[in-house]
Amino acid sequence: MMQIACPHCGSRAQQEFMYERTVDSVVPLDAPTDKAMAALFTRTNPRGPDDEIWRHTYGCRAWMVVTRHRVTHEITAVRAVGPEVLP
Amino acid sequence: MTEVAISRLPEAPLHVVEIWSNPQDVAQRFAAAMGFALPAMGLSASNDRLGLMRFEPSVWLAEGDVSGLADILAENGALTEIGGGVVRIRLSGAGWRALLMEAGVFDAEDPNFGPGCTAATLIDHVNVRLHVVAEDVCIAYVPASYSRALLHFWDEAGKTLTA
Amino acid sequence: MTAPRRAAKAATLNFTFDGKAYRAVPGETLAAALLANGVKLVGRSFKYHRPRGIMTAGVEEPNALVTVGEGGRREPNTRATDVFVYDGLVARSQNRWPSLRFDFGSVFGLFSKALPAGFYYKTFFGSAKRWMIYEYFIRKAAGLGNAPTEADPDRFSHRAAFCDVLIVGGGPAGLQAAVEEAEAGKRVILVEQDAILGASLIRDPQTLDAGWVEATAARIRKAGGRILTRTSASGYWEHDLVTLTQLCVEPGQTAENRLAQRLWRVRAGRVILATGSIERPIAFANNDRPGIMLSQAVRTYIRRFGVVPGQRAIIATNNDDAYDTADALIAAGANVVAVLDARETASGRAAHAQAAGMTVHLGAVPKAAKGGRQGVTGLVASVAGATQSWAVDLIAVSGGFTPVVHLHQQAGGTLNWVEEAQAFVPGSSRQNVTTIGGAAKPEAVGVMRPISQPKKSFIDFQNDVTLADVDLAWAEGYRSVEHLKRYTTLGMATDQGKLGNMAALGRLAEQQGVSIPEAGLTTFRPPYTPVSMGLIAGPGAPHGGAHIRRLALYDLHAAKAPIWQPLGYWFRPRAYPQAGETLATAALREARAVRTSVGMTDVSTLAKFEITGPDAAAFLEIICATSVAKLAIGRGRYTFMLREDGLAFDDGTVWRLDENRYLLTSSTGGADRMATHISYVRQYLCPHLRVSAVNVQEHYAGIAIAGPRAKQVVEGLIGQDVPRHMSAIAASIHGLPVHVLAASYSGERAFEVYCSASEAPSIWAACEAAVLAQGGCLYGLEAMEFLRIEKGHLVVGGEIDGRLSPYDLGLEKMLNKAGGFIGAAGLGRPALRGKGRRQLVGLEAIEGNIPEGAMLLSAPNAAPQGHVSAAAFRVLEGGSIALGQLINGFDRHGEEMIAASPTRGQSARVRVTHPHFYDLAGERYRD
Repeated sequence: MMQIACPHCGSRAQQEFMYERTVDSVVPLDAPTDKAMAALFTRTNPRGPDDEIWRHTYGCRAWMVVTRHRVTHEITAVRAVGPEVLP
Repeated sequence: MTEVAISRLPEAPLHVVEIWSNPQDVAQRFAAAMGFALPAMGLSASNDRLGLMRFEPSVWLAEGDVSGLADILAENGALTEIGGGVVRIRLSGAGWRALLMEAGVFDAEDPNFGPGCTAATLIDHVNVRLHVVAEDVCIAYVPASYSRALLHFWDEAGKTLTA
Repeated sequence: MTAPRRAAKAATLNFTFDGKAYRAVPGETLAAALLANGVKLVGRSFKYHRPRGIMTAGVEEPNALVTVGEGGRREPNTRATDVFVYDGLVARSQNRWPSLRFDFGSVFGLFSKALPAGFYYKTFFGSAKRWMIYEYFIRKAAGLGNAPTEADPDRFSHRAAFCDVLIVGGGPAGLQAAVEEAEAGKRVILVEQDAILGASLIRDPQTLDAGWVEATAARIRKAGGRILTRTSASGYWEHDLVTLTQLCVEPGQTAENRLAQRLWRVRAGRVILATGSIERPIAFANNDRPGIMLSQAVRTYIRRFGVVPGQRAIIATNNDDAYDTADALIAAGANVVAVLDARETASGRAAHAQAAGMTVHLGAVPKAAKGGRQGVTGLVASVAGATQSWAVDLIAVSGGFTPVVHLHQQAGGTLNWVEEAQAFVPGSSRQNVTTIGGAAKPEAVGVMRPISQPKKSFIDFQNDVTLADVDLAWAEGYRSVEHLKRYTTLGMATDQGKLGNMAALGRLAEQQGVSIPEAGLTTFRPPYTPVSMGLIAGPGAPHGGAHIRRLALYDLHAAKAPIWQPLGYWFRPRAYPQAGETLATAALREARAVRTSVGMTDVSTLAKFEITGPDAAAFLEIICATSVAKLAIGRGRYTFMLREDGLAFDDGTVWRLDENRYLLTSSTGGADRMATHISYVRQYLCPHLRVSAVNVQEHYAGIAIAGPRAKQVVEGLIGQDVPRHMSAIAASIHGLPVHVLAASYSGERAFEVYCSASEAPSIWAACEAAVLAQGGCLYGLEAMEFLRIEKGHLVVGGEIDGRLSPYDLGLEKMLNKAGGFIGAAGLGRPALRGKGRRQLVGLEAIEGNIPEGAMLLSAPNAAPQGHVSAAAFRVLEGGSIALGQLINGFDRHGEEMIAASPTRGQSARVRVTHPHFYDLAGERYRD
């Protein structure tokens, strides 16, 4: 039951978030077939920190990239993604 | 410290106000037209006709008279009605904070979460949006399909609240 | 100091143990009350059914496991040392038949040579038939208590809490830390598993002011701190989250408000562990007899409860602390015949005791206890090489102290070895946790090697594991501590090795020829002490937890007593049977009404999204694999959505309500998934688009009116012309605004009326009156299935099951030729064009009725080449039809196959055909 520092809401319980996928698995919209499928199906799965896409689904519903250590769960960075936001 | 009154409020319109570009310009137009500023994350603001709550970075929920908003948004955003799917539940009394800790994950007991504050969270597996309107009154905005189950949960939990 | 005497007249609580009535003093544990009433025998051991008594005064108790409470409140394996007596408590011993005193199972003790560690594993070798026989008896003999068979009537709460500092342990160190933090303005929570604060101070009062504990607790509360007693910290999780299990009433007790227990999830800024340490027993032959107790436990019974567990005592120790027990016993009027100190030279404390006239033997190690079910009668020991024996009725043992480091290690902390204490203490941690007090500084000990017969020297009392078992595991080649644990089962009982793990580790280290820290430790896992299943289930327990989502029109449906069908988290009407109808006859009547007059159904649960903005169409053409931008205002179309790998995962409709405003509908079951997908695309992939995509699933209710008379019904309701097929208009019914969309799932002319859910009941009522007036009726999901299968319309989860591409589904012509949609790249994979893919087909029965889910075979017992995804009957003409997936199905029309369902014992002969059976030309939609 981790705690994640949402860039918009501050620290909140993991239960409010949903993990979506790793950043390296993202298929860019304009990617050709071979690159798209390579991103989708070839993963690194490091035993260490990795960049993951999470959504604060049951909070502010915003998306963010979380750098999390896969073994210790230490979160070293959280960065917001999405449209330009009014402070 | 454990009394809490729970009641369902009458249905009311509720609108999503979303800004997709030039938020600073929209904010200026809004303040000029309405006389108050678009609230920051986790806060609410209002005049005597229109109230806004901010739960999301690009979205405000609007209650009351939204007639001027489409013009203020212009080509930078849009207004969408969602009130039919939302039930408002009013929690009041000294025990409302303790009640929100039951099957919850959010720090409703934090004294900084006070009047004028908003927060979206999960309570008994239901996504609720909270708005503290007075020292001992909090309104919960609950998806209609889950509202009966959550009301039942709160009624039961209210019977066993000890601080 | 004199010990308090237990006053018999203060014993005002009535309780029973194995049917016999006793009395207890308020504040006594069941163990203390039993000892006070002279009850020594409280249980029979797990495997050998040896007679057992109370050994400790804490949660580490391995022997005195009893069942307390009755009916749904019954709790087996409750430690008698960890339940406080209340009036009416009912307790029973376990694992014995016919009685505790004369237990048939004690014959297992006679066969102990055949039942060492690993015997059960060895029964798996050899004849399976013989194993089935052993298994019957092993099952009957195994286990301790019996689980309750009635539902628990109590409430269990789950509560969140936040604090700056969580302090675990209400002894002197914990109390001091808590008051300092609270008075410094921090949000503080202090927890203590006992019913009262004080811990070691209750057993060993210090030279502190009397009432220091109460005064400090009052200061903590005054400063806003929260103190929870009968609350155990059960686990330490990520990011300083600690779970606490709180007993609001004792096991088996009825609470006034029926709240039995509370599970706290506490997020702490930091955690201070003041958890103390647990005393170790000593390994010698028959060291499990009633009357052999941990030395500090003896002091607790005397000083806290005024109960003296024996009159003629001997003390065996390797440290100074046990001398305090000798003092306590003497002060209570008992005779201490000797202190056996394993250390070769006298410590200061030992010398002090000798000078005071106590008999102290140095270099003394116990060998064997004498006695049986009535209790211990004597002890044999080796004193500086020579054997001596004493007649005693109480042996107090102290083999050193094991700091309670469980939470520290769960927090990812390391442990350091302290040689002079022969113990592990907390080292560093990557979480914000520190350990203070006795857990950080255990007592120094002398190293003590067991000299006794290993076969009868118990180290894990609960699972009946002896030193001989540890030696056996080594002899059989098990080297690592992890294997030792699983092979012998030591440390795997409900006490999780609190008393025995260190002794086993010491033995293993000797065999390996390494130091104890080099031999390693097994992992400490939550919970620290057993947790009730009811508490884990929490408030959701009665109906299993997941909330049912309730239809906006629920009351109107319920009034007609429909057959309900679960669909995701919803329940929707499956059919509305009239008097004498079954599901099948009702559904057929409803479907026929739709084909011949008019029917009405609730489609409110569909996923719906309102998409607004100059880039709305462009956004939709990313999500949807069909074109959208070409729609004129007021027009709509069928659409479907692909995953990035090119396979279809959902379908629906899209309508252009206004120049820059669209309504997208998609499947009920995929609603949450589609909402996440839409948000991901909008926020992560296309943050620059000028679009607002709002989930309006619950805002709009939807009513579908379908049939040849639907046009009259709707025109009557809205007072204007209906939209033509695949068009949408804004209208009103009884003054309330509605959207009317001309779309058909059933295959008849149909209209979907969308209104605000808060206005749905009156709109529904108006629609129903109009439908009934035209001779129509309501229809449910079953009829909807008959209608759409006949028409060849797909359902998500059936035909669209995530394994088929748009090519496989026959939707290729609808793909947006401009590309740019999610899944376009995936469609470029050669495999999606290859032979041997499952393709959508229709099936007509030649003989029999086609079972849903049946496999499609070319011949009986041949390998399946596909399956039936949906089966139904032609609504008007009768006759069994189905939709299915078949390998290379497009090329196999006309082929005869078998649709077989072996699990239901049904099959049919079928012919492969086109996947539509009704109105191929779509004439029903036109005037």
